[in-house]
Amino acid sequence: MRLEKCWFCSSTVYPGHGITFVRNDATIFKFCRSKCHKNFKMKRNPRKVKWTKASRKLAGKELVKDATFDMERRRNRPEKYDREVMHKTVKAMQKIDEIRQKRADRLWEKRMANAKQQQTAADKRQLEREIHLIKAPSMEPEAVSEQEPMQEEKVVQQQDEKLAQKQKKKLRIPVERPRQKLQRMQE
Amino acid sequence: MPLYNFKTIKVVPTGKDFIDIVLSRTQRQTPTVVHNGWAITRIRSFYMRKVKYTQSNWHDKLSQILDDFPKVDDIHPFYADLLNVLYDKDHFKLALGQLNMARNLIGKVAQDYVRLLKYGDSLYRCKQLKRAALGRMCTIMKKQTASLAYLEQVRQHMSRLPSIDPNTRTLLVCGYPNVGKSSFMNKITRADVDVQPYAFTTKSLFIGHMDYKYLRWQVIDTPGILDRPLEERNTIEMQSVTALAHLRAAVLYIVDISEQCGYTIAQQAALFHSIKPLFASKPLLVVANKTDAASIEALSPEDQAILRELVVEAAKTSAGAGVVLDADALAREANLLKMSTLTEEGVMDVKQLACDRLLASRVEMKLQGKRVKDITNRIHVSQPQSRDGSGGKADPKSARPACIPTSVLAKRAAATSGAGPSQPAADAEETELQLQERLGGAGVYSADMRKRWQLSNPGWKYDIAPEIIEGHNIADFIDPDIEAKLADLEAEEDALAAAAAAEGIDMDLDDLTPEEMELLGQIKNRKRVLVASHRRRKSAANNHSVMPRGRDVDRIINTDQMKKSLDWMGYNTDKAVARVRSQSRTGRKRMRSEGPAGMDVDGAGDVVMEPPQKRIHSSKSRSMSRGRALSTSEPGAGKGIRDASQRNKAIKISDKAMRKRGKQARRGEGDRHIPDLKPKHLLTGKRGKGKTDRR
Repeated sequence: MRLEKCWFCSSTVYPGHGITFVRNDATIFKFCRSKCHKNFKMKRNPRKVKWTKASRKLAGKELVKDATFDMERRRNRPEKYDREVMHKTVKAMQKIDEIRQKRADRLWEKRMANAKQQQTAADKRQLEREIHLIKAPSMEPEAVSEQEPMQEEKVVQQQDEKLAQKQKKKLRIPVERPRQKLQRMQE
Repeated sequence: MPLYNFKTIKVVPTGKDFIDIVLSRTQRQTPTVVHNGWAITRIRSFYMRKVKYTQSNWHDKLSQILDDFPKVDDIHPFYADLLNVLYDKDHFKLALGQLNMARNLIGKVAQDYVRLLKYGDSLYRCKQLKRAALGRMCTIMKKQTASLAYLEQVRQHMSRLPSIDPNTRTLLVCGYPNVGKSSFMNKITRADVDVQPYAFTTKSLFIGHMDYKYLRWQVIDTPGILDRPLEERNTIEMQSVTALAHLRAAVLYIVDISEQCGYTIAQQAALFHSIKPLFASKPLLVVANKTDAASIEALSPEDQAILRELVVEAAKTSAGAGVVLDADALAREANLLKMSTLTEEGVMDVKQLACDRLLASRVEMKLQGKRVKDITNRIHVSQPQSRDGSGGKADPKSARPACIPTSVLAKRAAATSGAGPSQPAADAEETELQLQERLGGAGVYSADMRKRWQLSNPGWKYDIAPEIIEGHNIADFIDPDIEAKLADLEAEEDALAAAAAAEGIDMDLDDLTPEEMELLGQIKNRKRVLVASHRRRKSAANNHSVMPRGRDVDRIINTDQMKKSLDWMGYNTDKAVARVRSQSRTGRKRMRSEGPAGMDVDGAGDVVMEPPQKRIHSSKSRSMSRGRALSTSEPGAGKGIRDASQRNKAIKISDKAMRKRGKQARRGEGDRHIPDLKPKHLLTGKRGKGKTDRR
């Protein structure tokens, strides 16, 4: 009696659960539930299905290479039963599990810290860029006052104004939207 | 034998047919339509193609004839000579050579005319050039009519030649005409050669096959030969001579001792001597035939002496062929080989002797050749040796007796010395069967599988060991030095934890303020609404009628709405609202209701409607306002309408019903509509046995 890993989602399959498929080249596929089996039959790649362990590992969301994993591996050599060894092993297993849990937690914290940072940055960006959706762009004539012409010659002045207009157009968020569009938004 | 199969040569057409074949092929396989209006290059290439195609056709056909016919110099000398005898080598070569020449000439003609065609300046000229080219080619081939006819005859004759393999095991029967050669052949093979009691029944070479010593032999029956100089011999005899000269075969010289063939024994011996050079280096046997009609003993002593001489000569020739005759064979040879093809007496003896001779001769020849080494090098007969080198005798060093464990030996010793086999030892273990009997019998007793486990502590035998704990297989962790590894792991973990703690996670982010969060929430909501409405429109493929803004069916474009939305956006709307109010024409009245003197429209009084210029007669006022459709004429019979007034009423009702739809620009029955003439769901797929309007 052993616990197997689901071929698709890598979850633990307890005895009496799931289904086993043996392909005609003698490859064995074990599935924890019909969901995984169906996904397999649909020829989905577990790496490309978000909810599987494989894809999470691929995305760096889980521990991938760790010393704790090296301690647990399938040994294909039968061992004679020894009570002492069994005692030691069971105790060690619990400790190994703790360590693994700690490491996983650390990884999670690190990931979350990054994510938070990114989310905040994105929020700020959105706030800055899309504020026009809820507020009319400020009508204060700050921008105009800054563009006071310094040159005396009229021609140059006109050119500058044109330039300024252009720059303004480029930089600012559209100030006046057509009435029609506003109406459509209202709908 | 497939090497010399002349049956596959293709038919050679006569000169006239040949021309017809090629020209009609050109006509069929090249385009036939040409127009004067074409570009001259196109016309030229059209005719050039015809000329070239005809030439290549001639070339192919002639090449095939030249390839099909055997080259006299390349084939086996036997066939070369046979061709010479039968068809005259010179004539044959000449015919083929002429065809080759014709082929080259045609090639030249084509080349010349293609060159000329390049300068053809009109369709007519090009056509004439083509005609000339094809005509010259045909003329060349017409001159070959005789060669072609000759070759066709040769082909027909060759296809009927027996397929003789010059290199295989062969028996060759020869002698005077009518001595019984064909009879002998019929006896030993299944070939059914014509046998008649007159000379020259056999006019050409015949071939038959037989099996001897699991090998296949061919027997060649030759026409009879007369004793005269080579130059005087006719074609029939020459075939025999050719076969004798070129085939490496065992020759059977048949002598008719009864002289029924019309030639005396002396004459037959003379012939033997005159063609003796042909027998050189071949196994040769002289066979006396027709012993049923006359016996050798009854012959005159002179004839007997002649025959003996023949035998000796034959033995000599055979010796030259490498056949070493042992004493027994010589003794048999001393007596003439006798047979009677009538009674079949001695026929098989002759056959066997001839075959054995030939086989011995061929083996001898092969052994003398160079290639024999290739085979002898490959032959190896292995001689297995006994392992100990003693040829199976017992040797203490190499003895391999059965291995009996010491425990078994001890038990055996105990059994023999101590208690007899009938009484089991006191300490003998109880067998499972006995246990079962003692503990309740079959079905009750369950065998103890762990009884014989060999553990370091026997007390652990019946431990109940867990296999899985908390989602892990214990077996996966079993390791003799797990404690050391665990210690390493813990040390590593401590180091990592310390490193992580030292690094810390810098949360120096300036988070969004609650106000900012509120704004962001609003933005997101707004966006959601926009996206939803966009999707709604998109999913309908933007397939909605565009309502004119002025129509405003739902009455949403009004000042209140505008004020509301702009206020929300933060605009100051006071001016805008004021402007709208100033321009709207509140309180406007219909012109008709105005009094004839006119009156102020609104309080401002700045818009004064002019009275209509034209006076409207009161009597006509109704007709002026009436629509055109209202006709006063009576409706025709059969329309289901009583009179004009009822019809007009119906029209009014219908107009009223349509007014609203028209305003909303909805679809009505007057709109253009293309119905689905072939609804897919009714026309695709299999039809059941029931209704035809459903699938």
